[in-house]
Amino acid sequence: MEPVISLNHVSKHFGHRIAVNEVSLDIASGQAVALLGPNGAGKTTSIAMMLGLLHPTTGEIRLLGRTPGHLASREKIGVVLQNVSVPERLKVRECINLVRGFYPNPRSLDDLLNLAGLATDSDMQAHLLSGGKMRRLQFALAMAGNPEVLFLDEPTVGMDVTSRRQFWDALRQYVGEGRTLILTTHDLQEADVMTDRVVVMHHGLVIADAPPERIKMEFGDRQISFVADDARLIHVVRQWAEVADVQTSGRQVTIVTSDSDAVLKRLIHDNWDIRDIRVGGTGLEDAFVRLTREEVSLA
Amino acid sequence: MKPFLSQWKADLLRTVRDRRFFVLTLIMPVGFYLLFIHEQRGATAIAGTFWSAYFMVSMATFGVVGASVNTLGVRLAAERKMGWVRWLRTTPLSSVGYAASKISTQLSLSLLIVAVVFMVAHSNQGVTLSAKHWVEIVLWIWIGSIPFAALGVLIGLAGNSAQVLGTLVYLGLSLLGGLWTPVEALPKTMQDIAHWMPTYRYAQPAWNLLAGKGVDIKDIAFLAGYTILFVGLAAIIQNRLDVKPDTN
Repeated sequence: MEPVISLNHVSKHFGHRIAVNEVSLDIASGQAVALLGPNGAGKTTSIAMMLGLLHPTTGEIRLLGRTPGHLASREKIGVVLQNVSVPERLKVRECINLVRGFYPNPRSLDDLLNLAGLATDSDMQAHLLSGGKMRRLQFALAMAGNPEVLFLDEPTVGMDVTSRRQFWDALRQYVGEGRTLILTTHDLQEADVMTDRVVVMHHGLVIADAPPERIKMEFGDRQISFVADDARLIHVVRQWAEVADVQTSGRQVTIVTSDSDAVLKRLIHDNWDIRDIRVGGTGLEDAFVRLTREEVSLA
Repeated sequence: MKPFLSQWKADLLRTVRDRRFFVLTLIMPVGFYLLFIHEQRGATAIAGTFWSAYFMVSMATFGVVGASVNTLGVRLAAERKMGWVRWLRTTPLSSVGYAASKISTQLSLSLLIVAVVFMVAHSNQGVTLSAKHWVEIVLWIWIGSIPFAALGVLIGLAGNSAQVLGTLVYLGLSLLGGLWTPVEALPKTMQDIAHWMPTYRYAQPAWNLLAGKGVDIKDIAFLAGYTILFVGLAAIIQNRLDVKPDTN
């Protein structure tokens, strides 16, 4: 079956800055995909190109078998973008009805209000909604046409915990109906909860493309660093199964591991002479840097 | 068609709800009419008609041009800035549908402005025309406002400068086109300039209709040309704006 979205060696340059660099990607119908990465990774630019809001500098994109932006495919998608506010002087329900009127087979107003948890706010002035409710209204607008493909650009930014939970529930229902979801996020938890495939972007490149469990393993690594006088330690530790990587800088040793507890216990049990021990998470940013470096070394 | 109707309905609702703007748009041309009609007495003959009728057409066109060039532009700029227009481009509402809705809303408002100015002129100054004349003149001022709506769309692309630019263009065109002072009363150079103004080409046929003359094909050609120019420029600028980088 033809993929819902396909990117074929797509690049986007803004002057000298390369926002997206030679990205190729196929997304099949029914997949829930997260574009994960730090700010400036090229996620939003990629989404904008999939939607036809930006044209790629080179490469080709197809959305539902057509060039993005085609009116016929716009009837089948729903979109939440960043930095959008709704028009003034419309009530919540009027705003939803305005957008419902764009689609051939819209969902019912009540359905959308409930989906977004806005049933009690339907007579509020739409543009005066608080940040979290505004995001939920935009979700309702995205769902107005009963979309087959849903694009969400950082959907939960500005939402409090309750809003987020409610939003995730609504999304899970959508995904459960076998429809396609593409969301961008810099929150690994969100990607993990909502999707079955995570595409990690950094500096415009796709540096990983895997199920969330695998990405989490990669990102869940911890670092143990210490000073060791005995250089033999490095060779020994490298053999341990739970150790992913060992780096040295003089007598400073840094171990990257998926199980810091086990490594520490072994180090102490074996009576190695180590001091100034520090244990920490590698963090998203570190993981990105590491993944990027691996990408470069592979090239 | 359905997306357009939905957008138009919402736009009309929003226009009427903006009370201050709505009242001001109607009061401005009516207020100026009542203010200036007494300076030159209404019964003064001018261009084959009377000043009261002549200035009625001037102020109706002035009001319509203002509402189109100034406010339409500012509103479009605001909707662009809010990101709403960008989002709409992901929905089945086409950019043509969007523009058509804005222009239709503008035309509805224009019709109302003309009706109000004419009613005031009729009741206050006793301006009377045959039913055929009323209809002809109203239709001309209404349909003839299309290039100004297009100009409003163009100015709307100026972003933060739209407000200032809109006001300048609005007042400049009104003054140079003879909406304030009859063109015949201007120096020769100013008259030559006036003949190139879309405002002159817009008001002149209406004044001619008052005098029992027909609409000159030349005026229609001028307005059509300006419409094509404004729409073309807007399309070019729109395309340029689209390739600009945005927040990532």
